[in-house]
Amino acid sequence: MIVFSKVNKWYGEYQALADVNAEVKKGEVVVVCGPSGSGKSTLIRTVNRLEEIQGGQILYNGHDVYGVDANLNSLRSRVGFVFQNFNLFPHMSVLDNIMLAPLKLKGLNTSYVKNKALELLDMVGMSHKANAYPNQLSGGQQQRVAIARALAMEPPAMLFDEPTSALDPEMVGEVLSVMKSLAKEGMTMMCVTHEMNFAREVADKVWFMDAGKILETSDPETFFQNPTHPRAQSFIRDIRG
Amino acid sequence: MFANVIDILSQYWELFLIGQYPHGPLGGLVNTLILASLALIIAFPLSVLLAIARTSPFGIFRHPVTVWVYVMRGIPLIMIIFWTYFLVPSLIGRNIGGFTTMLCTLVLYQSAYLCEIVRGGLQSLPAGQVEASRALGLGYFRTMFFILLPQALYNSIPSLISQFISIIKETSLGYIINAQEMTFAANQVNNQLLVKPFEVYFILAVTYYILCFGLTQLAQWFERRIEKKRQGSDLLAT
Ligand SMILES: Nc1ncnc2c1ncn2[C@@H]1O[C@H](COP(=O)(O)OP(=O)(O)OP(=O)(O)O)[C@@H](O)[C@H]1O
Ligand SMILES: [Mg+2]
Repeated sequence: MIVFSKVNKWYGEYQALADVNAEVKKGEVVVVCGPSGSGKSTLIRTVNRLEEIQGGQILYNGHDVYGVDANLNSLRSRVGFVFQNFNLFPHMSVLDNIMLAPLKLKGLNTSYVKNKALELLDMVGMSHKANAYPNQLSGGQQQRVAIARALAMEPPAMLFDEPTSALDPEMVGEVLSVMKSLAKEGMTMMCVTHEMNFAREVADKVWFMDAGKILETSDPETFFQNPTHPRAQSFIRDIRG
Repeated sequence: MFANVIDILSQYWELFLIGQYPHGPLGGLVNTLILASLALIIAFPLSVLLAIARTSPFGIFRHPVTVWVYVMRGIPLIMIIFWTYFLVPSLIGRNIGGFTTMLCTLVLYQSAYLCEIVRGGLQSLPAGQVEASRALGLGYFRTMFFILLPQALYNSIPSLISQFISIIKETSLGYIINAQEMTFAANQVNNQLLVKPFEVYFILAVTYYILCFGLTQLAQWFERRIEKKRQGSDLLAT
């Protein structure tokens, strides 16, 4: 579904991604973790080309993301992306936030799109706030709406960049539970997160990154019990505290 | 002196308000407002286009507008009035009235200032807004029109009102090219009375002041409203 081959990225002199090779298979949930500045955000943002790369190739659902003939907008509309800071559109109601992309990009009629949006809101437990505006919602509520918005284009895969890092602790659970139910339905997911319990329970694979490289890709069991790479070992010691 | 002011007002209020209309051209306060409003109405959409060009990733759009903005903001309005006054007739081959000249001038001049206001509004939006929109698959123009401009323009309302105040004051310069407006009318009154210039121009000043003060209040009201909304009040709850 998502294949990284020999991906290299520089910010000027600084190499943020170094020869990254990895694959997210269809239906898999991959959790990307690693210390701050290791390139997790950079990596996940290359999948829908929010960042340019200087070498290598990324295939998304069979399409070459950085190919010369890539249709960027149509490609992005088929990648669900959830940001750390939600990034809802504050001048639109919750419903309009979700309906915007399907209405403008798919040319479907309003009542159909609205019904679909209401179903999604129901799924994330936010139907009662359909007509509210983003700044009237708590962080956890905003993030659940953001997930619904990302799902509205029916993407084959969802990307999450630290979706719970900006939340107060008591709101982390509600967002994770939405993500868990998505995972159960078989959604292909790539999640950058520090929520190790989520990784343990839901992930099929854990990728450990450091200094722009993926140092370890293993199933969560192995990763948490017997990490092979020394950096991963010390990372796990650190998060255990 | 105040008795004199009342006297002048009761005798000449029509001239102050609407100029010589209906016996002559429309003028006075009404024409000042028409001139300022038309200038804003025409310059504003133009400035939005200029602002889009000025924030464009493409130099061919960005550079000419940047030059335009710097030139317009770097020379006194009265120079532009003279240029329009002499240049436009020679370009289009016939004379244009003072009102039209002043309108053209204000549109050219204000397009640059308004452009900077809109640009400021666009650039002060969080980068996450563009990213979220682009990540949904909305292209550059859809992002501009559905996401960025609605927010930027709404946030710019107080500055736009302030700019309207400037335009109102700038219309008084139309006097020098015989544009019929309030200052012109005041001068006509003064020419008829001859001996009460202080009272006449006092009335003129007070009228400008009331108008601009009212608009300042309106701008501040919007500013408070926008600030409240940023902090997440229920103003928009439905
Ligand atoms: N726009 C940029 N310009 C220059 N350097 C950047 C830029 N964005 C990121 N970097 C650098 O690239 C490296 C990787 O950044 P990235 O945001 O991918 O890290 P991360 O693993 O997501 O970290 P965190 O856990 O803090 O979010 C960091 O060292 C960062 O300083
Ligand atoms: Mg990050």
